[in-house]
Amino acid sequence: MTKLSTLAEAVASIPSGAHVALSGFAITRCNMAFAREVIRQGIRRLTVSQCVGAMDADMLAGAGAVERIIYGGGSLDRFGRLNCVNRGIEEGTLVAEEYSSLSLAFRYLAGALGLPFIPIRSLRGSDILKRLQELAPAEIGYVDDPFTGDNWLVLKPLIPDVAVVQVQVADEGGNAWIMGPRWDNEEQVKASKRTIVITEHLVPTEVIRREPERTLIPGFRVSHVVHLPFAAHPTSVYRAYDYDAEHIRHYAEATKTPEGFQKYLDKYVYGVQDHWGYLELVGGLKHLNNLIADPILGY
Amino acid sequence: MKSEPEYTPFELMAVAGARELKDGEIVAVGLGLPVVATFLAKRTHAPHITILFELGVVDPEPIHTGVGLADPRVWYRAKILSSFVDMLGMVLHRGLVDVGFLGGLETDAYGNLNTTLLGDPKGKFRHFVGSGGANDIASSARRTIIIIRHEARKLNEAVSFVTSPGYLRGYGERASAGLQGGPSRVITDKAVFGFDPESKRMRLESIHPGNTVEDVLANLSFQPIVPDAVSTTEPPTAEQVRLIREEIDPERVYAG
Repeated sequence: MTKLSTLAEAVASIPSGAHVALSGFAITRCNMAFAREVIRQGIRRLTVSQCVGAMDADMLAGAGAVERIIYGGGSLDRFGRLNCVNRGIEEGTLVAEEYSSLSLAFRYLAGALGLPFIPIRSLRGSDILKRLQELAPAEIGYVDDPFTGDNWLVLKPLIPDVAVVQVQVADEGGNAWIMGPRWDNEEQVKASKRTIVITEHLVPTEVIRREPERTLIPGFRVSHVVHLPFAAHPTSVYRAYDYDAEHIRHYAEATKTPEGFQKYLDKYVYGVQDHWGYLELVGGLKHLNNLIADPILGY
Repeated sequence: MKSEPEYTPFELMAVAGARELKDGEIVAVGLGLPVVATFLAKRTHAPHITILFELGVVDPEPIHTGVGLADPRVWYRAKILSSFVDMLGMVLHRGLVDVGFLGGLETDAYGNLNTTLLGDPKGKFRHFVGSGGANDIASSARRTIIIIRHEARKLNEAVSFVTSPGYLRGYGERASAGLQGGPSRVITDKAVFGFDPESKRMRLESIHPGNTVEDVLANLSFQPIVPDAVSTTEPPTAEQVRLIREEIDPERVYAG
């Protein structure tokens, strides 16, 4: 059964107020075309989660689409900080449940495994834990190990309404491969109620069947497959295309003020009809061709 | 007479960091100087070190300098590309990471690290990066090494936010919180510090060539333990400097 849809259809399936897990990590495999479409459609009050905060969450937060972010901290690597997320936290307009990479990965893992809670050694003694106890007391608990009697910090499973994942290869049923490191993406997908796959390459299922050991995302967990090239631009997709350093620098500068970011949104999000218009605006085929990854290096 | 090789303060910090690593150890690193230090150790006295990055990268051999862990340049020629649960879970949380290398906005007299915010957490503050894997590494590595610039605003009696626990407020507090390990060294561009085995307060171990105890203390916002005799940090050799400049950080991104 085909799950192929347009980006607009896939985004329209997400109601305001939903919890969306995002596949980005800093400036790689971010759901940028998705974020731009969410903003254009005016979806609001989202909860977004990811183990390391990334450019997709930052853009959504800056555009006012996010009410709550559940993340492990994040940045745009050396290009700068997540200015929109940070501003929201500093001004109190964004609720931030801050974890560490592993503690959030464990919450997804517990969700994926159907466990009631998961013990962890991280967070103990830290101000991260103190803050969470104030902000989200229902997600933190303690239990005694029935075997040793040791007391353990335990976390509640995290079950997003939908995971949105940028991948390199998928078939129209949603069976998908992620190349390179996959950080929290497998646990996100398997914890979530359903998944939207955004893929660089669409392949016949026969290709999947020939190397099924590479299938990280099972089609039976997927509701929509969107086939869209350069959907992560300006972030990178390993073995497909490099990040657009010039554009990310521009974004990092623009997001330093709300006015600057509004201008950015007006031009790159509201100023175009769809992803195809965006790709033309950022330089078209000639520019994008320069970003295509070297097959040996992967970037 | 043997001429002293010229080196930058960052190169000296990287070399001092490398010296802390033993052959065969498993090392979890963030980006920046810790990576330079770890690659240097691997190319000199510790060829069997295993390097891991939190997002799921083991033993890469980059040939281009990356802008961060999210840059595929940093993953090049890795032996394993996997996930947080694989690296931070099945290696670190499992108890197999010998050394974690961390940096931050500020650290304090007990080696607690802040990468989250500066200011008043309940009032006006500026938010920065947060934890990433730093809290996990500080909680579960057998020991951690902190690399940080030697500035009064970065070396305080107490950090404004404990992102990654060191010895908390000293003595047995870390153990009471259910944590083993803890920071073993703090390496700055002026000195190397350790921790008093009893009080867990930072203790001056060695001073880099060209600095004095007065220099070191004048640029600190707390009083560390200063033993009667403090040695001089061994300077980098010409070969260590050459490796850093020509092979490990040729674009001088980290070891400037």
